[in-house]
Amino acid sequence: MPDWKVEITRRLSGLRLSPTREAEIVEELGQHLDDRYEQSLQGGATTEAAYQATLIELTESDVLAQELRWVERPVRHEPVVPGAQRRLNMLGDLWQDLRYGLRMLVKNPGFTVVAVMALALGIGANSAIFSVVNTVLLRPLPYQDPDRLVMVWEDDTKGGYPRDTPAAANYIDWRDQNQVFEGMAAIADLSFNLTGNGEPERIDGRRVSAHLFPLLGVEPHLGRAFLPEDDQPGGNRVVIMSHGLWQRRFGSDMTIIGKPLTLNGESSTVVGVMPPHFQFPSREDELWVPIAFSSQEAANRGRHYLQVIARMKPGVTLQQAQAEMSTIATRLQQQYPDQNTDLGATVISLHEHVVGDIKPSLLVLLGAVGFVLLIACANVANLQLARAAVRQKEISIRVALGASRLRLIRQFLTESVLLALLGGGVGLLLSVWGVNLLKAFIPEKISQAAAITIDARVMGFTLLVSLLTGLIFGLAPATQTSNFNLNETLKEGGRDSAAGSRGNRIRGLLVIAEVAVSFILLIGAGLLINSFLRLHNVDPGFRLDNLLTIQVALPAQKYPDHARRSAFHTELVNRIEALPGVKSAAVTNWIPLIYQGDSIGFSIEGRPDPAPGQGRRPTVVTRVVSPHYFRTMGIQFVQGREFGEQDRVDSPAVAVISETMVRRFWPGEDPIGKRITSGSPDSRDPDDWLTIIGVVKDVRQFELTADPKPQMYLSYLQAGFFAPRHLVVSTDVEPLSLAATVRRTVWEVDKDQPVSNISTMEDVLSESLARQRFSMLLLGIFATVALVLAAVGIYGVMSYSVTQRTREFGIRMALGARGLDVLKLAIRQGAKLVLIGVAIGLAASFVLTRLMSSLLFGVTATDPLTFIGVSLLLAIVALMACFVPAHRATKVDPLLALRYE
Amino acid sequence: MSYIGSHIFDRELKKGSAELLILSLVEDQSRHGYDIGNLIEQRSRGVLRFNVASLYPLLYRLEKRGWIQGRWVEKAGQRRRRYYRLTPEGKKILAAQRSGWREFVEAVNRITGIEHA
Repeated sequence: MPDWKVEITRRLSGLRLSPTREAEIVEELGQHLDDRYEQSLQGGATTEAAYQATLIELTESDVLAQELRWVERPVRHEPVVPGAQRRLNMLGDLWQDLRYGLRMLVKNPGFTVVAVMALALGIGANSAIFSVVNTVLLRPLPYQDPDRLVMVWEDDTKGGYPRDTPAAANYIDWRDQNQVFEGMAAIADLSFNLTGNGEPERIDGRRVSAHLFPLLGVEPHLGRAFLPEDDQPGGNRVVIMSHGLWQRRFGSDMTIIGKPLTLNGESSTVVGVMPPHFQFPSREDELWVPIAFSSQEAANRGRHYLQVIARMKPGVTLQQAQAEMSTIATRLQQQYPDQNTDLGATVISLHEHVVGDIKPSLLVLLGAVGFVLLIACANVANLQLARAAVRQKEISIRVALGASRLRLIRQFLTESVLLALLGGGVGLLLSVWGVNLLKAFIPEKISQAAAITIDARVMGFTLLVSLLTGLIFGLAPATQTSNFNLNETLKEGGRDSAAGSRGNRIRGLLVIAEVAVSFILLIGAGLLINSFLRLHNVDPGFRLDNLLTIQVALPAQKYPDHARRSAFHTELVNRIEALPGVKSAAVTNWIPLIYQGDSIGFSIEGRPDPAPGQGRRPTVVTRVVSPHYFRTMGIQFVQGREFGEQDRVDSPAVAVISETMVRRFWPGEDPIGKRITSGSPDSRDPDDWLTIIGVVKDVRQFELTADPKPQMYLSYLQAGFFAPRHLVVSTDVEPLSLAATVRRTVWEVDKDQPVSNISTMEDVLSESLARQRFSMLLLGIFATVALVLAAVGIYGVMSYSVTQRTREFGIRMALGARGLDVLKLAIRQGAKLVLIGVAIGLAASFVLTRLMSSLLFGVTATDPLTFIGVSLLLAIVALMACFVPAHRATKVDPLLALRYE
Repeated sequence: MSYIGSHIFDRELKKGSAELLILSLVEDQSRHGYDIGNLIEQRSRGVLRFNVASLYPLLYRLEKRGWIQGRWVEKAGQRRRRYYRLTPEGKKILAAQRSGWREFVEAVNRITGIEHA
């Protein structure tokens, strides 16, 4: 019988059927033809005729192929062997690589999940931190042409205030004399007691120059901005409110414009409502009134309390603005030597002003998460290497079939990038969660914190980082596995060449890198933790426990004079002290750690002031307190007495000073009884002089991190020019449990008096350390993640290496090596890598930690204790990671080991 | 137009009816391809004839659609052969095609007046 197979196969050749399917069809059709042939023969045909008759069945050969093409789907060559086909179609190749890569990932779910999770953690952390950086540092401020906005400060470096708040007269001279600014505006603190329509409420606000809003380029949402005539002494009493206040207190009343508002007991007219999200200068500000300098205020160069913002003319650079302002400041120094000596002017960009505090923290954190990602990369690269070893056979076949090295590298990189993109996708999801977490940590002072979101830029960043990540961790395995000698692989009889010396070297390098990078992170975290502990150990000079603080600021309208204010405070303190659970109570103008102002210049009796042009009078931080302040706050007395009943408004004015003030001005002398004045040193009027009656220990008045400056306390009964605004209560019980009672007591004295910022002193301190805590917590988390990742990486590499050497260990033990010998051998290998890593990390840390020195407190960037501690910690963790697999090596059964493979 | 139209009509008609023929033939018992081809030729008294090139693609198509199912069957002393049988889904299709065909034929007859001849 003729063989039809050749004929049929020829006709099917164009269809690219799978071999199995083709064989089936050939068999089935062949049988049919056999039957037909046999039938013809039975019908009496000659073999030749029967053959011809049968072949007719196939004559319409194109029909067979054509018809089958509809039915049978051509099968793609499985598996696609990249490199086997020398096509020049880049896109086609890429598509092929992607499909193949995806299949490989699906085939190894364990590997894929571990790698994707490691990458997702790394990339997610990066995206989360970047979203903060993006919002806080990169996003332009929400004002018109924000690049041209600057803050101008007085530069009183000699007095310890390189960025001091300008005095009104200086501001006015700057404004009138400069040629570089389009406009300049002044801002001063002002709080309001808002009464009428609802509960009395304390609201923060500012006095601002009329043209502040046009200068910022922000239009009110409703109504109008201030007019020049509003900004005159005795001008219109007008007020602009924030969108938030308008919604919260006035229910978004569209008819609010023109309505009266009772502020500090006086009626003002609402002229505008700012747009949503507008905040200036800080988030808390909700009311703005014209600054309207009085003539005395406008002439004053001694009181430094303004903030000054300016808009540079187009084309003017920061340097030009600085130069111009320095020139003007020098001129003012010569013009007013008694008040402006050594007083310069500093111009900084508004952006720098807004983000300056947090910028170093954020940059350090961004660097830190970058390092975490690098470690994750190293881990995944290690996984890839181990897997590549398993795939050695596949690679040899490809190379044997003619795959070029480049083609193999491309395939491996495609797989890596695919993996990284998966990691990036999951990471982006993680970062959404991370951002919410970050918002809880971020210091409230960072005004843009609420606006932190995952926007297009963050997504772009994530994509970029993912791609880069894929390239970084894919490159080592790709070059490694593609660069091998076919002959050698075949000679090794299927043993993977990546396990050879070259593979081990790359793995070793990765371990070294992981150890080094995590070392740097641990050092960074260690330094911050160390700083934070030191901060907590700083003696603030006052007690933190059982201390309640409440803001009770009296409106000037209702309490216009000192006598009425004193009466209120005396009454209030007496009532509070009578409450059960209260040990003592006092009032002060500012509790510590919340305000950095109210310094006054003074002269010492019998010592001449510096000659004009030879420096200025010394300054002292001044706080006004009631008699029990020191015992309430737990401020220790050194000598002399505290304020008492005898220190009344009509008795000689007295002062309690700090140790630093004594050291600075009366070293080795007894300061008690010495007299100082804030007025003229030539004054003969005894009322101008303050007599020192006592000395107390220093208090960290401004911030915990700053060394105490000279301080002076005055009695609230005598110093009428500083009105107390804070009540402090020392309690026997949990302080906040008294909050309601204390508030009620305030209202018993004056039912319209707003009460705000009820807090414990502990919380005040804690809030003042928010920035440090933020950096410390995050860097601590990152360092921990890095340590864990590095340990996992070391463990993985050591496990792999021990498995590879099972046979060797078996032989050694068969020849008489004891378990301990093998253990030593295995650990030595790991220990060497760890030590090299630590050494490199040590060197790198010495350089890198300098970048974060501005974040440190009480420790140097190369704090030996931190360096030693971290070295030990890392060494122990890393050696533990070595020990576990090494220990397994000692359990090798020589017989089994020799049979291994 | 009429040439092309009639040619296509012819081919489609044959193809459409061929499905019905094959389904009918494997309705009661499973058959192999040669058997099916022979039966069509015999029962149509030579009017309808499918050669290998057209019959098998049709069988594969029906199989792919899940209307028939092919199975290699080995019988003692014979080569293995592929037998096709109707699937439950094929049964439904066959019923539908039968009634459709009947309506079609009746409609054509009514128009062409064959009934009155």
